[in-house]
Amino acid sequence: MKGHFPWHRPSRPNRLGWLNYIFPLLLLFFFFLPVLVALGEAFLPVEAWPGLLAFLRSRQFRKVLVFTTTEAFWSALLSLALALPGAYFFGRYRFPGKRLLKSMMVLPFMLPAILVVLAMVVFYGQNGVLNSCLALLFPGRKVSFTGLYGFNGIVLTHVFYNFGFCLRMLSERWERISPQLEEASAVLGAGRLTTWCRVILPLLAPTIGYLGALVFLYSFLSFTVVLVLGGYLYQTFEVLIYIEYNNKLRFQQAAQLAAVQMLILAVILTFQRWTQHLADRPTGAASPLPQWRLKKQRAGWIFFLFYLGGSLFFFFLPLFFVLLRSFKERGRPEGGWTLANYRALWEPAFRFAVGTDLETVIGTSLLLALTVGLATTVLAYLLARARRGLPWGRLDLWLQLPMGVSFLTFAFGLLRLAGGFLPPVVLIIWAQIFLAFPLVYSLLRTACREWGEELLAAAQTLGAAGWELFRTVEFPLLRKALTSAFAYGVALSLGDLSAVLVLGQGKVITLSVAVYRLIGHYHFPQAVALGTLFILLAVLLFTLVEQGAAGEEPWKRGEGSR
Amino acid sequence: MKQDFLQIEVGKNYPEFQLEVRLTVAEGEFFSLVGPSGCGKTTLLRLISGLARPDTGRIILDGRDLTNVPVAERNIGFVFQDYALFPHLTVAGNIEYGLKIRRLPVNQRRERTRAMLSLFEIEELADRRVQDLSGGERQRVALARALAPEPFLLLLDEPFAALDYGLRRRLRRELKELQGQLGFTTIFVTHQQEEALALSGRLAVMAAGRILQVGTATEVYNHPSHPFVATFLGDANLITCTVQRTPEGILVQPAGGRQFLLPSTREEPSGSCLLMVRPEDVVFTHQDPVYTGELVTLEYLGYGFAAEVKVDANLLLKVLTGKEFHHTLGEKVGLAFRPRSAKLIPLAD
Repeated sequence: MKGHFPWHRPSRPNRLGWLNYIFPLLLLFFFFLPVLVALGEAFLPVEAWPGLLAFLRSRQFRKVLVFTTTEAFWSALLSLALALPGAYFFGRYRFPGKRLLKSMMVLPFMLPAILVVLAMVVFYGQNGVLNSCLALLFPGRKVSFTGLYGFNGIVLTHVFYNFGFCLRMLSERWERISPQLEEASAVLGAGRLTTWCRVILPLLAPTIGYLGALVFLYSFLSFTVVLVLGGYLYQTFEVLIYIEYNNKLRFQQAAQLAAVQMLILAVILTFQRWTQHLADRPTGAASPLPQWRLKKQRAGWIFFLFYLGGSLFFFFLPLFFVLLRSFKERGRPEGGWTLANYRALWEPAFRFAVGTDLETVIGTSLLLALTVGLATTVLAYLLARARRGLPWGRLDLWLQLPMGVSFLTFAFGLLRLAGGFLPPVVLIIWAQIFLAFPLVYSLLRTACREWGEELLAAAQTLGAAGWELFRTVEFPLLRKALTSAFAYGVALSLGDLSAVLVLGQGKVITLSVAVYRLIGHYHFPQAVALGTLFILLAVLLFTLVEQGAAGEEPWKRGEGSR
Repeated sequence: MKQDFLQIEVGKNYPEFQLEVRLTVAEGEFFSLVGPSGCGKTTLLRLISGLARPDTGRIILDGRDLTNVPVAERNIGFVFQDYALFPHLTVAGNIEYGLKIRRLPVNQRRERTRAMLSLFEIEELADRRVQDLSGGERQRVALARALAPEPFLLLLDEPFAALDYGLRRRLRRELKELQGQLGFTTIFVTHQQEEALALSGRLAVMAAGRILQVGTATEVYNHPSHPFVATFLGDANLITCTVQRTPEGILVQPAGGRQFLLPSTREEPSGSCLLMVRPEDVVFTHQDPVYTGELVTLEYLGYGFAAEVKVDANLLLKVLTGKEFHHTLGEKVGLAFRPRSAKLIPLAD
């Protein structure tokens, strides 16, 4: 063909391909270098291996392993068992207020862990609301709930955290199972129980497995909940790493613990990936859901109302009582109404307990959160944009891996790597970007792919290019996803406790740290007041995430603000 | 009218696919690219529009080399298969978009938008969200948006693919009328042979990244130069045969059949080749049939019958008849070809 036309000449090769790889590789480098440093500390010294083997044979290792796996198992099992009946109603029927209820259900999942702990202490603690109710119901019989600080309390808090998102994800899966499958089964002679066992359960099973693995993973990695409620008796690997590093200053021991934990995590993650792959399979074309008829399904309604009431009691009253108690004298239920708890946030006692004044706490938190939110969103957007035309590939999977690495391990490695020359604030920002990146990236990657190449191509053929293309088409289309991604980055930064504790070295105090210290100093009146302000901020961010994340929602990837 | 208004000679390599195309399109022409899915039609449109860059070759439009001109500066209209209407803009906003980008004064922009809305008879949809439009309405908006900036060339990538049969027929008639009225040069991509034959001044049949034949609809349908073209554009019986020139004409010996004469023409090949006969050119006959076989299938089509006659284990001939049909399934029948209807195609490499 060449040479037929006088103007034939070879044209330029495509010069854009390398950007798609260099940029993510740089990100991976900055993400995984601290992890490699932590692993290097664990294995490179000559004396490391005998120490590691001795630790693996130790009673302490067995104790931590047994506790972590047991609490994670029960947390997963109970979260799913409680979510399943609700998922049936949400997944099978339309009813007024369903959307709002579904949104509210995932609120606890998006709250900073320290707030959840605070809510649990306020509601289920020794002097909590539950015990006050029990004292009223059974006067003089000393009936009370005393299990918050221990195994039961830790599992209860994990269930509190995960139940809502399990319910939402299960119900969304259920909605996608065509009701016609049940009808087909009935026509073929199967009863309701047989249909449930032979048709519905096999279709739901991969999602149940996936959610179970996810809740197990997050409970396994639990830090804040176990740190506050477990004391020195109950420790997950995360808490033990923190204690070894921060309290006992045994760096190598901490690194070895981190390495062992990573190996265990690899197994859990492999299982989780496999179940996710199964759960993503289609379940036939979904049909519109029937309206729930009060007259015909009265028994179902009554059961559902009890279920809903119980769930709201269990999951929302604790949060509500944080708010309520913040207006009670000395934070006690029997106290009169007052604003004194809020005024106390400006008193020297607050400064003494927390280590700095309220303005600094809020200023530091907001500065960190906004920087992390912005930096993560910009980085994730640039990468998602560069890879817009490519299918979801191995590199994207690698960029998701931070989700499966212990955050404390990363923070610990980062401190060893750059703690000597970078200020704590920079280290915290670096770590929190690492924490937020997987989800923010997958949100924007999905949004970029969802709107697709074609709309941008259409705008280009109509003359738009560069900034104009971004301003007139790309930004309006991605605005919600960008807002959601930014809000999510901010929420994660605000909720983070472990990175600030490890990397802040006591010099950086955020809202999470302040609430943690107030609980630690038994300053509950100030803790509930500050917690209330914190809850309002978290709810605002949650609203932004919820309204923006139409395509990809954080809880669908199993990411909370832990 | 410039015959070489658009000159294309491009090559593009993908790991699984290679495109090599040489083509010229005349000014004001309605040119169709037709071929099966994955043959490179859309890739070629993307190369012309600038959405993709060729690895080799150039694209010249009205004497201007566009090869390295960015897509935004080419002023080539593009109607995408799914229309790619901007969901954050109204119908009027979509149509006005290209004019805004070109920084046309507001009054000119509004006037032009109104004119396009009126031309496509969608004035009442001006303030509607594009998500609320029907398929046909979306198609009109997409066309109006592409034509609003008065492009040098309009590219249409299977714009009727998402529509039902009746609407497709109506809209393609309207498109043809509009093109005749406004005279814009158009390249229309489709995988539907009926659409290509109905619309095009000229058309090119593509397969596996190559153009196999270019010509008018009747030329390509009646004189296919490649077996793929013969079978892709309509139904065809392809029979291997040997050909010999004689003073009386061309003596054709079809495999397993009786020899017959074709009138002599300059281009007819000799030796081994393929005999192409359309089903409507096969007739049932008792006298000197070319083939005899068993009637194995018979479908009533309303306007006639589609039949298949099994000549031997390797040859099944398709026949399209009128309403008058008196044979029954399983019956032995004789077949012949209408005079001048059979075409000879050189055997493909």
